[in-house]
Amino acid sequence: MAPRAARLGVPLALAGLVLVAGVLIPGFLSPANLTTILLHVSINGIIALGCTFVIITAGIDLSVGSVVGLAGVLTAATLTSGTVLRVAGPGGAAVVAGLVGIAAGAAVGLLNGGVVAKLGVAPFIVTLATMTAARGAARLVTGGVPIGFPDPGDPLYERKIAALDALHAVGGGRIPVPGLPNGFPVPALVMLALVATGAFVLVRTRFGRHVYAVGGNEEASRLAGVAVGRIKLGTYAICGAGAGLAAVLLVGQLRSGGPDAGMLYELNAIAAAVIGGTSLFGGVGTAWGALTGALLIGVLNNGLDLLGVQSFWQEIAKGVIILLAVLFDVWMKRADARRRARAARI
Amino acid sequence: MTPPAPSPTPAPPLLALRAVTKRFPGVVALDAVDFDAHAGRVHALVGENGAGKSTLLKVVAGAERPDAGTLALGGAPVSFGAPRDALSAGVTVMYQELSLVPQLRADANIFLGMEPGRHGLLDRHAAAARAGEVLRSLGADFDPATPAGDLSVAEQQLVELARALVRDARLIALDEPTAALSLVETDRLFEQVRRLCARGIAVIFVSHRLEEVRRIADEITVLRDGRRVFAGPAAGIDDAGLIRHMVGRDVEYARLGAARGAPGAPLLEVRSLGSRGRFSDVSLAVRRGEIVGLAGLVGAGRTEVARCLAGADPHDAGAMALAGAPYRPASPREAIARGVVFLPEDRKTQGLVLGMNVRENVTLAALGRFARRGVIRARAEREAATRQTRAVELRPPDIEREAGTLSGGNQQKVVLAKWLLVDADVLIFDEPTRGVDVAAKAELHQLIRGLADAGKAVVVISSELPEILALADRVVVMREGRVSGELPAAGATAEGILALALPASHAA
Repeated sequence: MAPRAARLGVPLALAGLVLVAGVLIPGFLSPANLTTILLHVSINGIIALGCTFVIITAGIDLSVGSVVGLAGVLTAATLTSGTVLRVAGPGGAAVVAGLVGIAAGAAVGLLNGGVVAKLGVAPFIVTLATMTAARGAARLVTGGVPIGFPDPGDPLYERKIAALDALHAVGGGRIPVPGLPNGFPVPALVMLALVATGAFVLVRTRFGRHVYAVGGNEEASRLAGVAVGRIKLGTYAICGAGAGLAAVLLVGQLRSGGPDAGMLYELNAIAAAVIGGTSLFGGVGTAWGALTGALLIGVLNNGLDLLGVQSFWQEIAKGVIILLAVLFDVWMKRADARRRARAARI
Repeated sequence: MTPPAPSPTPAPPLLALRAVTKRFPGVVALDAVDFDAHAGRVHALVGENGAGKSTLLKVVAGAERPDAGTLALGGAPVSFGAPRDALSAGVTVMYQELSLVPQLRADANIFLGMEPGRHGLLDRHAAAARAGEVLRSLGADFDPATPAGDLSVAEQQLVELARALVRDARLIALDEPTAALSLVETDRLFEQVRRLCARGIAVIFVSHRLEEVRRIADEITVLRDGRRVFAGPAAGIDDAGLIRHMVGRDVEYARLGAARGAPGAPLLEVRSLGSRGRFSDVSLAVRRGEIVGLAGLVGAGRTEVARCLAGADPHDAGAMALAGAPYRPASPREAIARGVVFLPEDRKTQGLVLGMNVRENVTLAALGRFARRGVIRARAEREAATRQTRAVELRPPDIEREAGTLSGGNQQKVVLAKWLLVDADVLIFDEPTRGVDVAAKAELHQLIRGLADAGKAVVVISSELPEILALADRVVVMREGRVSGELPAAGATAEGILALALPASHAA
């Protein structure tokens, strides 16, 4: 799906970066540190995976950060709701809250996709609008303060704590693995499973093929009978649901849902997708690329952290990497065009 | 009005092209063409679609570099690397698609790129005053402060002419300037063209309307298949002679159509189909085993009709029937489900996903057949793609090759393979061999004929008359959004088709 050099370039850059960091920074390659990186990457990796679907169709979703906020407060509100706790118990509440978070994200995604596909409004504008509105809704739901940890005087105090703990087992839990002192973080496991699933969907299913086709040439796809609108709708729904799931994991991790959570996450996710080789022009991108891009950002942040580099410099470094990735994309496209012109002349 | 008699002692030409050659992948657009334009004279450039007129204009405008040959302006050799080089040398080309910025005022458009002023500050008053002056000299009666997008096409043309004049143009080329003009507007434009000539400007005039060419041209050049086949004073040749020069060809394809057994009932039937502003009252029928050729000039509405048949665009009048049942597809998806498929004229933007490989393109329209619960069965897909690409003799027969890297003929074969896989009953080809080399053309013709022989109903749109003659059992000719005539293949000649396709006069 992507030019060969683009497929190899970013994984090589990631390997190089890991190697350099391993040599320069003592402790970087320790299992504990590597799993920490995976944990830190997982939220962004999941959102980036969803965004990759949208970007392959030549769309964009700016609303995912706000969706993390909105889905997060709805998750936390459900988790600590007296009614839900009484009916379902703490464990049941955790399940219901998780589903609510994912559904809320998917709903915003469906709204985005519906307006983009049926009304033909530019995705940038549509998702800019939902980005603003979802953030407002999140603040409206909570009155501006985080939902989560109960007051000590709360009659349901113990149950609420139990429910928060139940979701924390997913968002902040670790699975014991021999050789790993702290075990393997559950969110990282979720991310890896989703990336593998995403890769399967993109490469092996009819839906995935249509996603690439729509992004590669929308008109040709339409004339070939591809249900372009439905495909786009699907990608935005996937993207929204991904952001919803990320919100659930975040609430579990932090034991609370704040209306301002997920601020600027959309930019990190788009950056990861683009660094991973997904083209903003559409038609090109992979699930593993999203993971690679997210890892690259994560390794960079972690390495600079360990080196004691100021966070301001980290931001600058990330900016440079994004620019390089986009330049690489543009350069590959030109080389591609030249190659096509040459081949067609034969 | 009769054009002035050619001057007895020809002055040296203002613009002289010598042996200019321009090749594109698969075609020679200009083949050692000579062309002269003299100051103060109107040079008409005529020829069929694809004859090389546009390429010649682009070379003159500096938008395309010739592969061989020379350009001289005022006796001195020139080489235009970019349109701005030509502009600064006083050469302006006014394309059919006008190049104004619609949001900017008319006067701002006139001075776009050469705004008067100092230190980067615009002198808007000077610009407005000078623009108004030039526009008035061209007979314009609108406010120069009007945004260009709010002006009529005729008014926008005046803005473009004014733009050329403030740049001290010595040569102005007009690419089918009357295509969107009313009769009165055409008269006014011609009046201005004559005034430009009186100022000593050389004018190149491209048009399909022979009657207009007669009215305005001093000299006529006929291009055919990238070669100059006639050049001389307008007074020295009649319409019949021009048409003969336009259609007479070296390449003749084997006639594959005609003289078949009597076909059955119509499979696809269209009655009084119309779409506001694009075409009206179009009726035609295609039977199984039959190829209907849809001829006409570019812009006659052929593609628009085809897109309605294929469900790509809606229609607002008339009715269609497929195998006797009402047929009104809301999308290409529906049309395909009913067995009607469309091969668009532009493979790159409409026919193929260039970044995908051959296999993915071939199976795109029929992917459901190779999927079980949404998961593609890779082997079945590969086998089908291999089978189809063999059927169309794709070379090289590599199904993993990226579609964008194939030659034009092979790309078209991939599009064809895609539709063969769908197993449609009605196939509509829009310019199936544009930009395809001669050998691949013959192969594609055989494939298309083979489809009809296998019982499919086929419609072929082509601007190339020999192609229509080679393939069609019946020729339907369109002119300006209407069917202007129908000819059986046996009785069809290139001259006969062209006579039906060319606009008779402006009032038509």
